[in-house]
This record gives sequence, structure tokens and C-alpha cells, in this order.
Amino acid sequence: MLHWLWLIPALPFAGAFVLIVFGPKMAHKAVAIIGPGTIAVSAVISILITYSFITSPPPDHVFVQNLWTWLDVGGFHPHIALYLDALSLLMTLVVTFVSFFIHWYSTEFMLGDEGYSRFFAYMNLFVASMVTLLLGDNLLLLFLGWEGVGLCSYLLIGFWYTDPVNGRAARKAFIVTRVGDTAMTLGLLLLFTHLGTLNIQELMHRAQQQWPVGSTLAVWAGFLLLGGAVGKSAQLPLQTWLPDAMAGPTPTSALIHAATMVTAGVYLIARTHALYSIAPAAQLAVAVVGTATLILAGFAALTQWDIKRVLAYSTVSQIGYMFLALGVGAWSAAIFHFMTHAFFKALLFLGAGIVINACHHEHNIFKMGGLWKELPVAFWTFLIAGCSLAGLPLITAGFYSKGLIIWETRAAEHGNQTLWILAVIGVLLTSLYTFRLIFVAFFGEAKTHVEHKPGYSLKVPCIVLAALSIVGGFVETPRFLGDIHVFTDFLHNALPAVVEGHATGMSELGSELWVTLAFVIGLVVSYYLYMVKPSLVEALTAPAISKALHRFWFSDWGMDWLYDHLFVRPVVWLARIDRNDIVDSFYDGLAFISQVFYRGLRTTETGRVRWYAAGIVLGSIIFVAIVLFA
Amino acid sequence: MNVTDLFTLLPLLILGGAAIVVMIVVAIHRSHILTLTLTLIGLALAFASLWWIAPEAPRQVTSLLVIDRYAIFYTGLVIAATFAVALLCYGYFERHPGNPEELYILLLLAALGSAVLVASSHFISFFLGLEILSVSLYAMNAYIRAWSLPLEAGIKYLILAASSAAFLLFGMALVYAELGTMDFAKIRELVTASPDLNRAVLLAGTALIITGFGFKLALVPFHLWTPDIYEGAPAPVTAFVATVSKGAMFALLLRYFYWSGTHHFGAVFLVFTIIAIASMIAGNILAMLQTNVKRILAYSSIAHMGYVLVAFQAGGQLAVQAVTFYLVAYFITIIGAFGVITMISDGDRDADSIEDYRGLFWRRPALAAVFTAMLLSLAGIPVTAGFVGKFYVISAGASSAIWLLVFVLIVTSVFGLYYYLRILVALYSGLAHEEAHAASGAAMVSSSSLAPALSISGGVVLAVLTILLVWVGVYPATLLNIIHSTVGLL
Repeated sequence: MLHWLWLIPALPFAGAFVLIVFGPKMAHKAVAIIGPGTIAVSAVISILITYSFITSPPPDHVFVQNLWTWLDVGGFHPHIALYLDALSLLMTLVVTFVSFFIHWYSTEFMLGDEGYSRFFAYMNLFVASMVTLLLGDNLLLLFLGWEGVGLCSYLLIGFWYTDPVNGRAARKAFIVTRVGDTAMTLGLLLLFTHLGTLNIQELMHRAQQQWPVGSTLAVWAGFLLLGGAVGKSAQLPLQTWLPDAMAGPTPTSALIHAATMVTAGVYLIARTHALYSIAPAAQLAVAVVGTATLILAGFAALTQWDIKRVLAYSTVSQIGYMFLALGVGAWSAAIFHFMTHAFFKALLFLGAGIVINACHHEHNIFKMGGLWKELPVAFWTFLIAGCSLAGLPLITAGFYSKGLIIWETRAAEHGNQTLWILAVIGVLLTSLYTFRLIFVAFFGEAKTHVEHKPGYSLKVPCIVLAALSIVGGFVETPRFLGDIHVFTDFLHNALPAVVEGHATGMSELGSELWVTLAFVIGLVVSYYLYMVKPSLVEALTAPAISKALHRFWFSDWGMDWLYDHLFVRPVVWLARIDRNDIVDSFYDGLAFISQVFYRGLRTTETGRVRWYAAGIVLGSIIFVAIVLFA
Repeated sequence: MNVTDLFTLLPLLILGGAAIVVMIVVAIHRSHILTLTLTLIGLALAFASLWWIAPEAPRQVTSLLVIDRYAIFYTGLVIAATFAVALLCYGYFERHPGNPEELYILLLLAALGSAVLVASSHFISFFLGLEILSVSLYAMNAYIRAWSLPLEAGIKYLILAASSAAFLLFGMALVYAELGTMDFAKIRELVTASPDLNRAVLLAGTALIITGFGFKLALVPFHLWTPDIYEGAPAPVTAFVATVSKGAMFALLLRYFYWSGTHHFGAVFLVFTIIAIASMIAGNILAMLQTNVKRILAYSSIAHMGYVLVAFQAGGQLAVQAVTFYLVAYFITIIGAFGVITMISDGDRDADSIEDYRGLFWRRPALAAVFTAMLLSLAGIPVTAGFVGKFYVISAGASSAIWLLVFVLIVTSVFGLYYYLRILVALYSGLAHEEAHAASGAAMVSSSSLAPALSISGGVVLAVLTILLVWVGVYPATLLNIIHSTVGLL
């Protein structure tokens, strides 16, 4: 069964290829079968592989499928090989599974779009790249997948390319993540040149052997990889691209910019956890970046009026939690939150898609209202996902995964109280902005007429994901609530367990109670502000200071403005004054010399046979002279 | 010579027999499709016979020919390439006035000559193979008599090939005069056994033999004919000249210089180093500002032969494999590129101006995509066969520490990228230009724009070549294993 592994990336690749080549001439029905169909088969294979992996685990709980060797020269022999362990298996399972439902949803959502087959071609290519990234055995494949998902993300953000705004958003995403990618490439090259192998496991092994804890190289490598992770996962300071990425079709936002691709950074750090364990400074930076991001993005989400942008900032914020977990060494907690987040965040976007479609492509939540009666399925599933996001205690998956992260922030060796306090404040913010969104969009008086009711293909994926947003959490529960550890035990062979520090003055129950308190406060405050006394909101935002603050948060803490002034304008200015710069003249000179040589050499091409024959004679004479006298 | 000997020559006999059959059939009944079918059957049979004779290899057949795995591999390559060219010829000559049938006789004979070349172990067979190939090429180059350019190409090629053959012959004579043998392996014995030879005569002879090789391979300074012949000859014939003729010659170059041991002479090594560097630089620079696609490919072929020479200079098993891999990749790519030119050319002229390709993507996306793949492969971009080929050439060079050659190869490859990109840019741009063109006068457009009917055979060839190109680029192991088990034994 494990030997079918290669099919998981191969099928979506094949689907993408077929759709790219033949798609434009295919019927919508055929596209709707090939696109989601290949993903469905991939998902089924991942389920079967998971089953066989659990029931009859391969030796060492690792399965390497060596497909072929790309090149084999002088000790450089990159294999095209897939590496399956608990970590990559779990993420592959979640990615293919969630992707399938989003593909299914898209068959109805994208109906009538002229780029129907193009959309599915990109989406299939994306899934294939993502799975390659997850299953790659070496840095080369990882990089291929990494760039592949970046490309698909770019293509899908700018999917409706006739609007220049979308094109700009796509370019912004590409360029901003490119900054991170550059750092990551440097990090990968540093690892390769110093440790001499491309194989990730071998690399980690050698790093631990050759580099002492805290060695400069390890810290550098850790920081450079973090750079890549921060770019792809939209964390501070490179998070600015994700909210704009909402320009893409909503299923794209659900799949790529919420559930899967943006967690590639989390995967990268989890995959190279051995490196971070010998680079404490880099690991601390991961925790700090995560915490700062989750707070800042939380505030930004509070002020948005575009339903998709609220969700985008909440994604940034939730990935901040995952980074925090990675930073304190709670590896499996990060992956746990990745999984639950994939379920509820994908669902939130799918729900948002239904809502936006129903309201004539209206994105502004203040122009919606009262939708719960009109769109019951969308409302209930959205509510479940929202509760999961905010962490409704006991029944939702989000509560368990986030609670675990927050507890480990306090209890783990690398955790501390400051991070813990900020993480709890983050819960408060999450609860606030989530229920603000739900109350404003679904309750109150109806401001728009709903005409487009969702069909089955839109509703069924939502219902399935809603179920998962609840039961997905029961695989890992705190000590006082059943003490289930299925999830951590499963990942145990791939990711080390948390090193417990000495948490003083706090028990797991205490931590969970604080989280619950934060949740309740957020819920109550937003209920009061948006349901009971909406006038209070206006009173609160009326003073100049709060207006300024609102603007500040709304613009994501002025980050775009800052980057514009810090990087874009200086560079443009420099480029302008440096129009005739000295370095250019070197290249101009090179071009000029080439031209001179070209002209000179061209004169030898006279077209006359006697001249050509003379060339042969002359050449022969010269070479005879050389062999005789040299 | 006994029956087994004769049996081992089966591929050559089939090629010769096919030429005769086609000739007789053409004399009785002219039919393009029939001629093509017979030609393809002949080539397919010859190709299949390689498997029958493989168990007999290696076998010395008379003192002239040696049928070893190396020869079998290259014969297979020659036949496969001829097969592709024949298919391209069909669509191309179907559109042209005049009788196309005799071309296939020449094509089969040229393939026969090439097969003799790659199997020869003796000056006599060397020269015979060369002449069978060359004489066929003279006529093939000038095949479209109604146009002046092919005629010019044919005459030029005739005069220059004949004069370079004279140099070659004189070189062989000098070597024979000194050593008393024309057998490659015996030359090695004598050269290593008797140190008191008159090396001057031997070296001068070798230098003149290099002239013969240099002309056929279009290496600097024997390259001047290349652009004129590439431009003048019909596109599918150019594909043949660029691949089969050069590939067979290179296979022989390897065999002659490695077997005879003359490659170990410092002076000979020096000469090849100079030729390689000059070819890489001159080829790439000359291609830079050209506006004629066929001429660009001509100059780029000069540079590519220079690259292969780098691997040749490295010496040893890795070199043989690198050269062979590179040549296979080069065959795929060049036949693909000229295949596109063939497909776009119509009955009035060949599509050779860069302007003919402007905006091709918007008119014929599939052809533009194939051409893109071929150009990227020529430039050595990853995921194409060309990249892996270049990678092996460079690693062969690096393993023998011939750094100067490797350095020049890398630097001039950058130049190369420039003119490939120029064509690529043209492929994907220029709708505006076309409109301007249309506005400037309908009469001009009608005279210059090409409207060929696409041939199915050509389309199939291009599809197969593109798949091969990516296949070899992504999964080179298959080809490497084949090369390893065949030419690895030279």
C-alpha cells in the first residue's frame, strides 16, 4: 500500500497537465470530473496509506520511496525520493482531504466563469506542488514544491487578471514572499555547503553532530529558514501580502491562503526542528515572531469591514499561534492547530463565499445582516467554524488545539509567562473579531436581498468540514478532560515530545480556565457592542484618537505605508537618480564590445566560396605549424 | 568474410537495400506517400536489425568495419534521426513544386554513409563513409532547384567539402607514409611501440585529418560555410546536416583519436583546445545579432560543437558518455527546432526571418510551445535534455581539470542565452507589431506572411521530440543506462 505513495503527487500533476493542454476545449462536466477527481483519488490513497501506516508501521516509522536519481555526477546525486513519516503523512492527509472538498465546492462556485478549466488546472497544480513540498525527501524537491505553490498562489490571486488591482495583488504576494524565499534559499545553500548533503534527514543528523548548541552557523541557518517561513506563512514582518491575496477567487483563499499553503512555513520549521533545537536564539525568534503577529493581526482584524479580509487577518493571527508553539518546542501542538485550523478556516472561507455570492458579490459585512434565516446551512456551519476559531470550550476543535498551545507556552522549557499572557490576550481578540463578524453579517436587520441560494456542491463540503471542526479536536485533550493523546502519540516518531519546564503557579486546568475567560469576555463584549448597543461602537470610534487608532489598525499598523516609504520609494528614487550609473556602463561596455566583435567576425562571412576555401587552407596551415613547432 | 560477418552488417545492408528498392519503385511509379512508406519501413527494419546483431558485438568485419556496441548505438541514433527527418520531409516537400521522391533515396544513402562512419576502424572505410554521406548531401542541399538559395548552398558545400576532403586524404596519406597502416588500432600500437618515429610527418598528417573533421563539424576556423548552407538548404535537410552528419562525424572523431592514441599528443590536444575555445566564442558572438533564425541556429551549432569538444578533451569513459549524452540531447533539440521551422515554412520560402516568428504563440500556440522547449534546451535550462547534457559536459571537463575550457564554456553559454531569448521574445510578443504590419499595406503582408498547411507527420514528430526532451531532462536515468551499457565500452 505504501508503494502507492508516488501517486499522491503524480495524479494531481497529471490532472493539471491534462487540464492545461486539453482544458480549454473540454466540457465543464469533464473538467469538473478531472479536477476534483484526481484530488479525490489522491485523498483516498492518503487515507489508505495512513491506515496501513498505523496498522503495520514501516521500520522506524519512516518510509522512503526512491523513485529515481536525477543526476549522478561526482558525489552530487539528488534522488527524486519521497519521505513519509508521521509529520508528512498527517499534513498530506489534511491537505488532500481539505483540497478535495474545496475542489468539489469550486465545481459549483466557479460555474459560469470563463476560466473554468484554467482554475482547476491551477488548483490541481497547486495540490501537486504542495504535496511535493510535504513529501520531498531532499531540499531540491522541497524547493521545487515551495516555488510551485508560490507560482500557483500568484496565478490564482491574479486569476481574474483583467482587473489590474488583482494583478497588483498577485505581484505583491509574489514579490513579498520572494524576499522570504531569498532568505530561505540562502539558508538551504548554507546547509548544503557546510553539511554536504541535500537529504533533509541526513542534513539534520549531520547538523546535530557537527554543530554545537548555539553555534553561529546553526543560528544563521535557523534565522534564514525562518525568513522563508515568515514569507510563505505571512508572519511579521512579511504578512502584508496575505490580506491583498484575497483578490483571488474565494475557494483559492480557502485552500491556499488559509488552509494549506500558508502553513508551509510551519511545516518547514517542524521538518527542520532538529536544527532549531541547536539554535535556541532562532527558536526564540520563532516564538517572538509568532506572538507579535498574533497580537498585531488580531487588532487589524477588529477593524476590517471586508469579510474576507477579516478572515485573512485571522489566518495570519492563527498561524502566529502555530509559530508560537514551534518556538516553545511544542511541535505537535503546532501541527495539531494546523489541522484544526485547516478545517475551520477552510470552512469559514467557503461560508464567506456562499455569503458573498448570495449578496451580489458584496464583501462589506455592514451591508449584509440578517442572513441567518436566508442561508441556514451557511450560517450554522459558519457559526460552528467561528466558534472553533474563537475556541468555544469543550466542544470545538479550536479550543483543544489552541488551549494546548497556550498551556505549552507556559509549561514548556522554552515557554515563559509574557508569551503566555500575550497568547491569552490573543484569544480575547480572536473571540472579539469572530463574533463581531458573525453578529454583524448574520444577525440584525437584513440589508440585502438574497437571491442566489447555494446548491449541494456548495453545502455538503461545508457540512463535512463543520463536523470536522468539532470532532477534529477530540484526538488530543487535556489531562482533566479525558487525557487523550492520540495525536501526539502518532506524531511522536517524527517530532520530539515537549520538554516540560517548571511551570510555577499555574496548572493546565488554570490555563484553560483563563483561555475560557478570555473567550467569554470577547463573546460578551462583542454581543453587547454589536447586538445590544450598536450606538456604543460609534461613540467609541468617534474621538480623534480612536479614529486614528482605527485607521492605524485598519491599515495593518501602517505596514504597507512603512514599506512603501522604507523600501519602495527609496529604491524607485535611487533607480531614478542612478539612471546612468557606473555599473551599467560596465555592462553597456560588454554589450558594445560584443557588438564590435560581432561586426568584426561578421566580415569573415562574405558569402564567397574562395574566401571560405581560403579559410580552410589558412586554418590547416596554422594548425600544421602549431603541431610542428609547439 | 563469412556469413556471420555479413550478418553483422545487416543494418548497413538493409539501408543500402532500401535505397535500391526506393530507387526502383520511384522509376516505376511516382508516389510520395509510397516512397515515404518504403523509406520508413527500410529505416525501421534497419533499426530492428540492431537487436539481432547485438549479440555478435563486438566483431571486426574485415579490417574496415567494427561492429561493436558503440557503433550499434550510434547507428541506432543515426537511423532514428533519419526517420524523424524523413517524416518532416514529407509535409515539407508535399508543399513544394517538383518531384520529392528522389530525396528519400539520398536520405537513405546519407544514413548509410553515416552508419559506415560510426562503424569504421580504418581510413578507407572512414573515407568511403564520408563520401557516401557528402555526395548525398550535395544533392539534398540543392534539392529545390527552382530556388536560388538551395542551389547556391549545394554548390558551396560541394566545392568546400571536396577541398576539405582533399586535405583529409592528404593527412591520411602522411600518416600511412609514416606508419604503413591505415587501421586505427594498429596506429596506436605503432605510435606507442616505436618512439623513434618521425613525429613531424605524423603530426602534420594528424593536423590535416583534423581539418577534415573540423570542416564536417563546422568548427572554427573551418566553419565559414555553415550559415550559408544552413540558410540555403531546405529546412528538413538542414536538420539532417546539423544532426546526423555532425553526430556521425563526432562519433568517428572520438573513435579515431581515442583508438589511435593520437589524442595524447600534447600538440594535438593544444590544437583541439584552440579549436574548442574559438568555436565557442565565435559561434556565440556571430549568432548574437543575426535576424535569420536558420543562421542563428547555424552559428549556435558551431558553439555547440565547441561544447562537445570540451567533453572530448576531458578524455576517458566519462568523456565518451558525456559526448554521447550531449549529442543525443542535441539531436532531439535540433531536429525539434528545425521541425518547427519546417512546419511554418510554406511552398514559397522557408520561415527563416525572426519576423516570421513574431507573435507565433498567438497564432500557433502548440508550435510556439515546442519551439520554446527546444530553445530552452539549446540554452541549457533545467528540466530539458540540454541542461543535463551540458551538466555532464561540464562535469566531464571539471573531472579532468581542464578549467580554461570549462570557464569559456560557461561564459559563452551566457552569450548564447541572449540570442535564444531574442527568438523567445519574438515568439510571445508582437501582436501590436503585426497590426502595424497589416496597416502598412496589405500587398506586402500577402507576399511575406506564411500560410502553410500543417502536416500530421510533422506534428507527431514534434510531439514525440518534445516528450523526449522533457523525459530526458527529468528522468535521464534511462538514457544514461543505455549509454553506459553501450558506448561505455569504446
